[in-house]
Amino acid sequence: MNTTMKVGLVLSGGGAKGAYHVGVLKALRELGTRIDAVSGASIGALNGGILASAPSLDVAIERLELLWGRLSKESPLSMKVPGYLSLLVAAGLRLNGATAALGAVHAARALADKLDIELPEWLDAMGEGVLDDQPLQRYMDEFLVSDDLSRGLPLYVSLYRSGGGLQDLVLALGAELGFTDTPDSEFIHVQSICDDAKRKQILLASAAIPLLFRSRSLGGQRYSDGGQGGWQTMQGNTPITPLLEAGCNLVIVTHLSDGSLWSRQRFPDATVLEIRPQQSLARATGPLAGARDLLGFDPEKIPSWIEQGYRDTLHCVGRVMMAQQSRNELRASEDALVAVEGESMRADKTLEDAMARLK
Amino acid sequence: MNETDAITASAEVCQLLTCVPEKFVVDFANGIDVARERQRHLATRTGFYSRLYDGFTGQGARHQAEINASLTDGVEGALNWLVDLSESLARSNRAIVQVQTRINGLKHDVALLVDYSVQTRQTLNLLSQRLDERCDALDRQVARIDSLQQAQLHLDRVFGKWGAGRFNGLSLSGRCYAVIEELRWGAFGDYCQVLSGHERQAQLDDLANRAIIQLSRDANVGHGERLGTHERWMARPVAGAAWFDGEEAVRYLGDWTDPGTAPFAYAVSQMPEELPLQVPRLGSAHRMAEGLISELFQESAV
Repeated sequence: MNTTMKVGLVLSGGGAKGAYHVGVLKALRELGTRIDAVSGASIGALNGGILASAPSLDVAIERLELLWGRLSKESPLSMKVPGYLSLLVAAGLRLNGATAALGAVHAARALADKLDIELPEWLDAMGEGVLDDQPLQRYMDEFLVSDDLSRGLPLYVSLYRSGGGLQDLVLALGAELGFTDTPDSEFIHVQSICDDAKRKQILLASAAIPLLFRSRSLGGQRYSDGGQGGWQTMQGNTPITPLLEAGCNLVIVTHLSDGSLWSRQRFPDATVLEIRPQQSLARATGPLAGARDLLGFDPEKIPSWIEQGYRDTLHCVGRVMMAQQSRNELRASEDALVAVEGESMRADKTLEDAMARLK
Repeated sequence: MNETDAITASAEVCQLLTCVPEKFVVDFANGIDVARERQRHLATRTGFYSRLYDGFTGQGARHQAEINASLTDGVEGALNWLVDLSESLARSNRAIVQVQTRINGLKHDVALLVDYSVQTRQTLNLLSQRLDERCDALDRQVARIDSLQQAQLHLDRVFGKWGAGRFNGLSLSGRCYAVIEELRWGAFGDYCQVLSGHERQAQLDDLANRAIIQLSRDANVGHGERLGTHERWMARPVAGAAWFDGEEAVRYLGDWTDPGTAPFAYAVSQMPEELPLQVPRLGSAHRMAEGLISELFQESAV
């Protein structure tokens, strides 16, 4: 019980459900938990970057709430483009085939004007230059890439060595069906990278969804979404390994999917506290509901995921703490019993002497 | 804790995440949430295609295996905890036995102290009673000694006055009467009143002896020599030496006397012309002194 506590926090990838991490951090702050290291994959890497670059947990939560609040309410894209895409675009990623898409949009608008057809509003937004110079860029520059990151919490992100978007997708599909598994993701200690631009590249690479976003080139190798590695065991999407290697003796693991296949059994010597959703994280229904939750969000979903993260963390951590408290009280009562024994023996001797004098 | 119990950040149990919890406790407690979440997920995968997909990919089996592992870990954790708890309970029970033993010892000691206390109280009561009696006896003894002392001092003082000639203005028997009266109304008389039996008689004998000696000395006769009662014992001193106020005082003191019950006192104090029949016409100092003492102290004793 006297071991110095070193807490690691794993922020799994899960697209727009990354808002859940904000609730987790709020709950951990209220529980008085000190976070000593953080690791993340995909959206977890971006949230982890903001957390690691903030001077305190309070400031990190404040920045994350501001960012996610803006994304849900004040996005310059007016939420016509899926929110998760807008976040990544704002962070500097380029959509694959963006030029062709823009051309298609312009052609569609010209055709619609001629035919006097009303197009969906989000096409207007894209035509206004959705891929460049987003106001969100300012937030990402302010929160994500700063000098504070190099002095902040140790941050580890997972990167998947990409063999090309299509190949990555095929491999992931094969792994999902159980035919094979994807290669393990690599874990990068962000602070070990001295170059600010490169650090940003690494963080963005971790979040680059294959096909939708271009992979990032680092050291002559292309990397994409770290959540793809070790698909069957979620090795890349739940990057606990670097935290254990960094000496964390308690690792809090957050999951952003219902029934996550990540297993604590693979780390028999680690003390792992999982924050699993106590009710479904799914908000969308119908065909491709999972993909819509992953890529998009709206003003109703984001606050609900934040609130759920908060409640789930209190529930899961609270259960452990309740059990541990009873253990601590038992130990304390045993220590008190031992401590009083010496005094009782002295009292016995005193009484014995007094009674002997009386007799 | 059941699922409906809400844990808030202000709850006491949530203020403790400042030290490393034990691994088996985390596995035990957190495993419940892990297993339950997977169970909940499996419960949603009951559709035909879902079952087909989970079976084909093996994900259903993996979930079940994880649930089983969590349950096994939970049981193992429970066993660890139970063993730990049992050992702790055994230590507590041993401590309770020790406390009980000490309490029994204390009870025995207290019983001994109670017995000792009761015995001490009885002894103290007896001692107190005896001390009271002893003090009372000493008080009485001191009072008696004081009275005796006062009586002796009184006796010495009065006979000192007689021997110094303070009563020479009276007749010989008048002197004796005045002395006996003064003694009777003073400390000597008080002392004789509380005495009885041979002690009283001893005091009166002492008085008689001293009176006889002084009377014989004043009369200048031997102890057994008899003189005329009227002519010598009751005769006034020579003119000029007579003390008429003293005679009046003696007469006043003896106004209670009558010839029948106190013939000597009557004759000496009232100085009648005719002596009562019981008074001898010739008498010795011995007879005069004893007669007066007998009458005066006999009367006072009554």
